[in-house]
Amino acid sequence: MTHTLHRMGSVENLSEDYVVLMMPSKDINHVGSGPKLRRFLQMALDNGAIKIGDGRLGNQYHQGGVSKVLENVEDRAVVHAVFRDTESLARTLLAIKEADFGLSVVVSGLFGEVEKCCKRLGLEKHTVNISMGRWGRTENLPPQEILEINTMCGHGMVTVGLIEEVIADVRNKRCTLEEGAERLFRPCLCGIFNPHRAAQLLEEMTAKEK
Amino acid sequence: MRIYPDLCIACGQCVPYCPVKAIRLEAGADFAEIDFDECAECSNCLRMAECPTDAICQQELVWPRTVRSLLSDPLTVAKESGITGRGTEEMKTNDVTGRFKRGFAGIAIELGRPVVGARFYDVEKVAQAVASLGVEFEPRNPTTSLMEDPSIGKFKEGILNEKVVSAILEFAVKLEQLPQLFEIIKRVAAEIDTVFSLDIATRANPDGSVPIEPVVKAAGLWISPNGKTNIGLGRPLVKEH
Repeated sequence: MTHTLHRMGSVENLSEDYVVLMMPSKDINHVGSGPKLRRFLQMALDNGAIKIGDGRLGNQYHQGGVSKVLENVEDRAVVHAVFRDTESLARTLLAIKEADFGLSVVVSGLFGEVEKCCKRLGLEKHTVNISMGRWGRTENLPPQEILEINTMCGHGMVTVGLIEEVIADVRNKRCTLEEGAERLFRPCLCGIFNPHRAAQLLEEMTAKEK
Repeated sequence: MRIYPDLCIACGQCVPYCPVKAIRLEAGADFAEIDFDECAECSNCLRMAECPTDAICQQELVWPRTVRSLLSDPLTVAKESGITGRGTEEMKTNDVTGRFKRGFAGIAIELGRPVVGARFYDVEKVAQAVASLGVEFEPRNPTTSLMEDPSIGKFKEGILNEKVVSAILEFAVKLEQLPQLFEIIKRVAAEIDTVFSLDIATRANPDGSVPIEPVVKAAGLWISPNGKTNIGLGRPLVKEH
């Protein structure tokens, strides 16, 4: 119950971070779901999604471009779109509602903002998944600001080592904030990592170090 | 994963891509090395490092090492769930499956996440602790498939030292069992050598409120301000009796 859950951050820096997932359920409604999932991804892009991805086949870098992500969607895919604002999110949810795909849709993000969006559109919460944080030997974890970037990839592929390398590259002007954030996006195969938020977090970190 | 020492030119490009810091390149060394015991077989280095000499290679994976790839490589499809990743459809399709009904809470304890990784002896410790509540581990979850006796949370012989990026224990409990579960989780959290992320899924009440929130707050525990909401657009919508 996890891969877009457990994103760490403040309410302020999470306010530009939303992911919409669409998936069929095996043996219930997966047959013929591929074209619907593809239409959803296209709708998301048309309405302002900043990234799309496919949990089975990989992100745009892994598949060779955004058009390949769209082209390769299969019946049992688990697809995602990432948003940096609630207006784009709301437009996409409205388009999904009107299209009536009949596939499950999960919105990840600040509960308060997602609820406002849903109420406005006449959508109801069916099932809710809450995170209760990290337990056990938490003293072995890296600092909060590193975790805020790392936890945007639920599979842990945006590693601490890569984050530290990108911070050093930004600080030493070997890359811009945006280039650094895009480099961090690449290992997140599902394509759920939010490079817009990552650039903001990198900016905060590097400004603090100055 | 292995690195061929005769091909490696010690450029260090692969080092930052390891999520469990298993790739070492000592100062002045001629080649990088993978600590084979620490490597979780996630394939991130092979996929992402763009090794200029193709020195990184995937050796043949044999049991029980196959467990590492199953739970660590995001693109490995688990035959139990039919989907990629370590989990199942869980709450994502609850609107059509009805997996978590009113009065129940779906629990996921993800050991190793974030960053630290987990060995199965710790996964087993937590599994055995929560099994004392009489829970049924989700049969379609790949971690459950590695259990010898799910009724007591015992794992198969030979896998206890296997290391993975993370492994998810997934089960449901009645809402009234939550306070007891939290006590068990607090106790076992102090007995393991790794971390875990904890989450709970539940049906929303007809008025939109979330029935587990007061229970969690009464236990003095923290809830993140962000999470996941299934907005009930799947069809056919499951009917609850």
